[in-house]
Amino acid sequence: MSAVLAPSPTNLEAPAGDEHIGKWASFVASPSLRLTGRRLLQAIPVLWGVTFLTYLFLNLLPGDAASQLLGANATPAEVHQLEIKLHLNEPFLTRYWHWFTGVLSGNLGASLANGQSVSSILGQRLPVTFELVVVSVVVTMLIAVPMATLAARKPRGIFDRVTTILSMGGISIAQFVFALLLVLLFSDIWNVLPALGWTPLSQSIGQNARYLVLPVMTIAIPLAMFVARLLRADLIEQMDSQEYIVTARAKGLSRWAQLTRHALRNSMLGIVTIFGLQVALLFGLTVIVEEIFGLPGVGQALLTAVNDRDAPLLEGIVLVLAGIVVLVNLLIDVTYGVLDPRIRHGRSSV
Amino acid sequence: MAVLPSDPIAAGQLGALIPPPMARRRRASWVRSLDVYIPGGFLLLLVLACFVWPVVYPVPQPVGGSILDASLGIGAPGHLLGTDTVGNDILARLLYGGRVSFEVAAATQVVGGVVGTMIGIVSTYLGGIAEAVVMRLLDVLLAIPAFILALTLLEGLGQGELNIIWALSIFFIPAFARLARAATLSLKEQTFVVAAHLTGTKRWRSIMRHIVPNVAPGLLTFALLNAGVAIIIEATLSFFGYGIPPPGPSWGNMIADGQQVMSTQPRLILVPSILLLVTVIALNTLGDGLRARWGVQ
Repeated sequence: MSAVLAPSPTNLEAPAGDEHIGKWASFVASPSLRLTGRRLLQAIPVLWGVTFLTYLFLNLLPGDAASQLLGANATPAEVHQLEIKLHLNEPFLTRYWHWFTGVLSGNLGASLANGQSVSSILGQRLPVTFELVVVSVVVTMLIAVPMATLAARKPRGIFDRVTTILSMGGISIAQFVFALLLVLLFSDIWNVLPALGWTPLSQSIGQNARYLVLPVMTIAIPLAMFVARLLRADLIEQMDSQEYIVTARAKGLSRWAQLTRHALRNSMLGIVTIFGLQVALLFGLTVIVEEIFGLPGVGQALLTAVNDRDAPLLEGIVLVLAGIVVLVNLLIDVTYGVLDPRIRHGRSSV
Repeated sequence: MAVLPSDPIAAGQLGALIPPPMARRRRASWVRSLDVYIPGGFLLLLVLACFVWPVVYPVPQPVGGSILDASLGIGAPGHLLGTDTVGNDILARLLYGGRVSFEVAAATQVVGGVVGTMIGIVSTYLGGIAEAVVMRLLDVLLAIPAFILALTLLEGLGQGELNIIWALSIFFIPAFARLARAATLSLKEQTFVVAAHLTGTKRWRSIMRHIVPNVAPGLLTFALLNAGVAIIIEATLSFFGYGIPPPGPSWGNMIADGQQVMSTQPRLILVPSILLLVTVIALNTLGDGLRARWGVQ
């Protein structure tokens, strides 16, 4: 990572203190902004590759949208007519080009299944998935950070051992199994939470929260166990080996203060990196969770789009999801500078 | 850290300074190895049970049970773990389903591991254009959520065990390539690799003799952790009806069948779920144990 973050010689020459240059110019010359720009440019070919590969995959699947939509009883003539209507009879590259030029002018096209525009479908469904992911990430941190810090306070103590066992279970459980166990407990046996359905946040906050609890638990608890495991290991390693911890101890800080004020802050960089790596996985998980709990999110639409061979819808979803993955990773690279002054000031002797 | 093991003089001096290990704190070696033996032994037993038990000791067929035997409890005569809602023997389905899980896990890790590792090592070692192209391609593959990739591929290839293996292998290639690349990057600068290069060793020979043996332990433990992931994904795909076509035995199918009668017969989802969880825990523990023992990462 440090190779990417290391500023190029030109960045170092940026005369931040020079009065003639002015504030705007020094802002433009700032290393983190250049890094952001470079990463944005790098993201373009990746995004294009994702959409092309998806189009190719979908094209390779047997059966097209026309036959898929009309079902098994359709006559070949009917299928052919729908193919012409949906432009499916044109060559693969032509169709991709139509879609691609449309995207460049801001038009994601319309779903083949019902003619609804892809942007309006995304507009309805993205908020659900966003809410699920954002709340899950927040809950993950709320569980993982205290858990790991408490465990690292007394390595091999009772709390640490319990944490170790729980996190092994958490990283080993299949999400769909965990979801079913939660439904079994909370909906079947105790009957306190709904197992299926959704109320939008705009209609009722309380109802929305009730429907959100089980899906969020399904994602957040195993993820928190995974994060807690890594965080605990990192904290304990710092406490054993780092000089700033020795200094803090010499100043007479309690172990708890050493952990929270010194070790935890240094671990944040690693935790943020882990989240960057997990974003793609997280969106994969929302497919599973939305399907099981019946949430009207993007993941559910994605399964339908694959089933219907609905290229514009699938492409729109994949483009947005991959875009989010790339964007989050970009944001994380920028966050490094906020979290670590050594990176912010362009000193990379980390 | 400061003393390289390849430096005999420094190592000797250091050895003289280190006091002999305190006997009271050292446990017997077999006790310290329990973190490898317990999960390893459990997995060995489970694999033997799945592949050998149905051969040497007759169990009922996993499919085609009689509806008259449906929903028998644990310990029913002839059905050790009872039967499901259509009368199939649960134990038999667990064992045959386990075969699928282990075959998928082993095959995907061998295919994904070998292909991914070679892509990672060779492209990194050669550098230049090959490296740039491969890295961008891997970026693209990694940006697509893996489960969605596997699912789309399976829609195209059709259901079945062999197709799951292909779809999942493709999904594991970038991960292995990334790891192999990271390991190769640091090895490339090591003295012994540079020395081999300077003495005129051929690139291919250098890769096989110096790079591969040094990245192997890390990749092997990575493969053990990934095997657990493969088993989970196979179960998930089968659960959603994209994997092993029902009524074929698979842990994911069993859980999907049990879901319908979850409130009246929770054991139908609990038994395969627990076996799935314990198997993946064993794989993860074994991977962790070997990693600590071999000192990788």
